Amino acid sequence: MKLERSILGLAVGAALSVYATVSQADTVLTVISGGSQNMVDYVTDYLGPIFEKQNPGVKVKAIGVGPDDAGSQKIVEKLQAQKNAGKNEWDVDVIVPNQQKTGEMVKAGLLMKYRHAIPTGKFAVSPASKMALGVNVDDYVMPMFQSQTAIAYNPTLVKNPPASFDELRQWVAKNPKAFGYNGLKGGMSGVAFVVGWMYAYGGSPDTVQQGPYAAAHEAGWDKAMAELKQFNQQVTFTPGNAGTLDMLNRGEIAMGPVWVDMFYTWKAEGRLPPNMKLKLIAPGMPGQPYYYAIPSKAKNVELAKKFIALATSPQVQANGIVKRFNWYPGIDPNAVKSELSGKDWNELFTDVTPADLAKYAKPFPLAPYFTDLRERYEAKVQD
Amino acid sequence: MTTITLPASPRRPDWLPALLLLPALLVVATLFVYPLACSLLYAFRDEKLGVWGWGNFLRAWDLYARDIYFTFGVVLLSTALIGVLAIAIAGYLTLGENRRAVAVLRWLYRWPLFIPVVVAGQMMRTFLAKNGLMNNALMALDLIEPLQAISFLDWRGLVFTFVWKQLPFATLLLAGAMAALDRSMIEAARNLGAGRLRVLWQILMPQLRPTLLVSLILSFVAILSVLSVPMMINAGSPTMITVDMAWRVASYSDYGVANALGFISCAMCGLAAWFYLRQGLREGGRP
Repeated sequence: MKLERSILGLAVGAALSVYATVSQADTVLTVISGGSQNMVDYVTDYLGPIFEKQNPGVKVKAIGVGPDDAGSQKIVEKLQAQKNAGKNEWDVDVIVPNQQKTGEMVKAGLLMKYRHAIPTGKFAVSPASKMALGVNVDDYVMPMFQSQTAIAYNPTLVKNPPASFDELRQWVAKNPKAFGYNGLKGGMSGVAFVVGWMYAYGGSPDTVQQGPYAAAHEAGWDKAMAELKQFNQQVTFTPGNAGTLDMLNRGEIAMGPVWVDMFYTWKAEGRLPPNMKLKLIAPGMPGQPYYYAIPSKAKNVELAKKFIALATSPQVQANGIVKRFNWYPGIDPNAVKSELSGKDWNELFTDVTPADLAKYAKPFPLAPYFTDLRERYEAKVQD
Repeated sequence: MTTITLPASPRRPDWLPALLLLPALLVVATLFVYPLACSLLYAFRDEKLGVWGWGNFLRAWDLYARDIYFTFGVVLLSTALIGVLAIAIAGYLTLGENRRAVAVLRWLYRWPLFIPVVVAGQMMRTFLAKNGLMNNALMALDLIEPLQAISFLDWRGLVFTFVWKQLPFATLLLAGAMAALDRSMIEAARNLGAGRLRVLWQILMPQLRPTLLVSLILSFVAILSVLSVPMMINAGSPTMITVDMAWRVASYSDYGVANALGFISCAMCGLAAWFYLRQGLREGGRP
């Protein structure tokens, strides 16, 4: 009985102390991240503490909902539900969604225009800060970072890595099962590879990336898909983005498409051999930004703006985005470069040079083409 | 003769039990029955055209027929293996004569029960890979040559993981029921010269059929609903329909086809439930 009572006392005490810590901070800024765990850690461990120091009495609460479309879809559903319920104050202040879902949210009227009102707005110069897969998102977003896919390879097994999709096909024909990717449903690095393939062989890549949308531009797709189906007979399928890196690490495959930032992070953590390299192949592979955006009925709008201004300042982009997490900066790279030592800057561009990026870094397709492309793959390649 | 009149007991109002049940019923109704009904209903709704019909099912069948067969096959095979292995383990626990072996087995077999499905998936993903723990161990023992190593990250990995994860549950039910049986029957059969296998097959199992069936049906349903394991282990296609459902919603915001696939998944569960009920009725008792 005594024990029970003391346990009860402890529980009440613990609950009260949690309540006290929350209520001590006057305001809680809620940030929902539709990214991988490292993107949530970025807010919890790096950005949040800086912001809390600059704004006493404010607490940053970061919530992760998982990467890719699936994660960002949860943000859409959360905001849409609050909108449908007719609430005047939504419980989310800052969101970090991917490109496709950002476009959908802008169209559904779930986000607010804010970029003109923050001091770092002028650094948003990339095309991705104006258009997201064909949807005009100008003024609604600040890019958090830019990410890119490339082919990772093991130089001990591959002396002369292919420089284009054509060369990759020849290489795979000579080395069956040594190239691996995660198909369509196993994560975005696999999707990116399929998209790169379609840019190379599907015809009219510029229209598919820039619009306008017309089904006529998909005329060449069936042939490209049939070739991809053949190509797939000679590759190894991997379980997920991390699965490709795992298999590279264990030497089960010699080459495969990966996200550049994941690749560098894994290498830095010793989960990949230090000699692994990257190659961005012609005519290009897609990359994507993640955005900062503010829901249209956010509770703490001014704080949210301040938070995003901090997150997109050249200092934070240099030390947080580039140095700690190996992402490409979301804002104007020229503004970031002066904040970094030459060594840190060059490390980011050893394997994939700025010239490669300028030539071969592509966006994902326009949303309607993207949907068609994925469905076509499901129907033609997987059958 | 005196009659004793008992003080009239305060009669409980009829609505009281109903009132006490209400919160639980409300939770079940709003959080389970309502969403399930919506999901089943909206499988027949084409949001784009705004009409009701079979469109979603035709589309689901068109794109995912292979995945539907694959799912059914994987789940059925896993359930069958679970059945065989559960009988073997529970049988040994009840009839085994080597006390030490029984004790070790009893201690060992329950472990996977405490490991979450996601963790099991993550473990198997490195265990079953081509150069993973299992093949490396086999190579170190000179049982296979390095070139013979193959990856099990496909349907075999799925079956392996499901059986590993779900077997203790089925065994626990079965071994519990066996322990509750009257041991004198076993001893009588042994005295009359029956072997242990025969005792298991002709004395124990006929009495335990309902328990076995329940454990298998529950396993079937549990396996059918797993998303993380096929996501983490099964590379490429075909894959299980839970993955397709998540994919439809996440990539295309298409709830229609996802609901249709969910309906099909419910139908598979329904099939299992029907077998169960039919069995119960045939035995003339409560299901």
